[in-house]
Amino acid sequence: MSATPSPSGPVGPLLSVRDLGVTFRTPDGDVRAVDGVSFDLAEGRTLGIVGESGSGKSVTAKALMNLLPSYADVEGTITFDGRDVRALATARERHFWGVELTMVFQDPMTSLNPVKRIGEQIAECLRVHLGRSRRDASAAALDLLERVGIPEPRKRLRQYPHELSGGLRQRVVIAMALACGPRLLIADEPTTALDVTVQKHILDLLDDLRRERGMSMVLITHDLGVVKGRADDVMVMYGGRTMEHAASGPLFTAMRHPYTSALLETIPRIDAAAHARLVPIAGRPPNPSELGPWCPFAPRCGSRVEACTVEAPPLVDDGTGHRSACFAPLGAGEA
Amino acid sequence: MAGSGKAHLRAADEVLVRVEDLVVEFPAGRGRTVKAVSGISLDIARGETLGLVGESGCGKSTTGKAIIQLPPPTSGSVHHGLVDLTELSGEAMRRRRTDVQMIFQDPISSLNPRRTVGDIVAEPLRVWGPHGRDEQRALVDRMLEAVGIDPEVARDKHPHEFSGGQCQRISIARSLVVDPELLICDEPVSALDVSVQAQILNMLEDLKAEYGLTLVFIAHDLAVVKNVSDRVAVMYLGKLCEVAGPDALFAEAAHPYTALLLDSIPEPDPTVELDEGLSEGLELPSPIEPPSGCRFRTRCPHATERCAAEEPQMRRVADGHHVACHHPLVAVAE
Repeated sequence: MSATPSPSGPVGPLLSVRDLGVTFRTPDGDVRAVDGVSFDLAEGRTLGIVGESGSGKSVTAKALMNLLPSYADVEGTITFDGRDVRALATARERHFWGVELTMVFQDPMTSLNPVKRIGEQIAECLRVHLGRSRRDASAAALDLLERVGIPEPRKRLRQYPHELSGGLRQRVVIAMALACGPRLLIADEPTTALDVTVQKHILDLLDDLRRERGMSMVLITHDLGVVKGRADDVMVMYGGRTMEHAASGPLFTAMRHPYTSALLETIPRIDAAAHARLVPIAGRPPNPSELGPWCPFAPRCGSRVEACTVEAPPLVDDGTGHRSACFAPLGAGEA
Repeated sequence: MAGSGKAHLRAADEVLVRVEDLVVEFPAGRGRTVKAVSGISLDIARGETLGLVGESGCGKSTTGKAIIQLPPPTSGSVHHGLVDLTELSGEAMRRRRTDVQMIFQDPISSLNPRRTVGDIVAEPLRVWGPHGRDEQRALVDRMLEAVGIDPEVARDKHPHEFSGGQCQRISIARSLVVDPELLICDEPVSALDVSVQAQILNMLEDLKAEYGLTLVFIAHDLAVVKNVSDRVAVMYLGKLCEVAGPDALFAEAAHPYTALLLDSIPEPDPTVELDEGLSEGLELPSPIEPPSGCRFRTRCPHATERCAAEEPQMRRVADGHHVACHHPLVAVAE
């Protein structure tokens, strides 16, 4: 294993991913969506994965959840609490997904069954995975709805998803994800489909629940603002690769990768004057077909050197757990 | 909030577009009506960018569309210069469409997938002339170049061969090829990747200067709106809350709803401390049966009985800064 220590601290990690690669076999050729992603996540911590569309962040999550389609080739190892997740085979073992590892998706409407009452959907998780009785599961569903801050939970149990607003629906999805008491929750853009005033409440709820239950969380987003102050560690992905991975503080204050820096600078700032000229990043995110063994950000990078277009820079740890993959990292000339 | 009144409107000779008492309602079945926009008054000075912000369902897109009569509003007037667009016949309005153009959120679905980029951008010219083929082609090429698309490469390609950012550039070229005065941009960068947004925003600023455009910029992202706007109007549930210059609005928000919006922004800057004081997470009331008086009162921490009984009117906070609230956060100049 090309294990590089991650910034998750000294305790053995709950989740350990090594050299994860995902290739989709399509009629138009192979698409390499994730390439050589490795990271650790310790119990009780939050990892933020930040990237644009096509960066491989959601495919990584689906690989963890075993949700990739049959035409996807997965390589590498995923270890959860010492168990090799990819080797889970029997139906009993496979309750792992849904009990210990669960996921919340971006669009709460399509994650819920439109023709089933809210209460039944939550109770179903408990009945299927834990074999709880119908009555027992309904009682637990009520508690869960209360816990995720849904007003009038008793009435909501009997309602259908379309009767709820987007924010409430996402709370229901979170309740379902929590039903079996997971040790790791993956939230993939949990607030992207929601209004900004609702977003903060959902993110705070996830944070409270994580703390209360000592759960770990992977928070996937395209918005650096969402992970700021909420994630312990942040991993920045681009073109299927990890660009930078560090504890949240150093990532924002002492970033090493030109992509991380460009991304932060290009976002309009609320505290900048009106009509302040924005700092654009030239070009566009790569198509998967344009990816190769070189650095995916090289064509758009201001710090590009010749080596960048020949081979991909390895993900190097600077000794403090701050990893970055760049031949010309920021701040290198200042030492 | 969610008030009416016209104290914030400027003299008629200063403005290009003046919207008064705009109401847009849609039938919702069983005799009910969705009150999407309920009596909004706005004006836009020539060469200005008016930012329209608010959550989904606040009526900001409906307002933008009603200005260009897509569809015509239920009541109210939209003066463009001396002409009231709502009074025009279908044919007279059609002839005005070259002056008022619109671009939409999803650049890919707003381009016909079966036609070439050259055709798409030339379409408005086929309708409006000039009619010489060579002349049309020269105009199309010039417009594509202005939005940063190489006409030689793009002319014979189809939209699916371009990225989202490039498709938005093509949409912009199509809207500007007829030399409009007013361009309504409905969430033009929301569907784009973060790393591409700044390119489009900078380009809109450049085109605005070059072609002397007046813009209405509709968006939910406050930082984006602040960046592009000369004036910002905050909407809530079909009503206006506050109108101000961007710097004033963000520095001293007078309306509790504006403050709530500002408070909700996730902050990517490490030097800015996260605000721990959270607002109430109540849901948006239904636009079919909006609350009486101030429509924001059900979520407002400062609401009193007066807010339920009486709709607040626009009042002046400072020059160019008006708020519709009984209990504004900043003193109102009486």
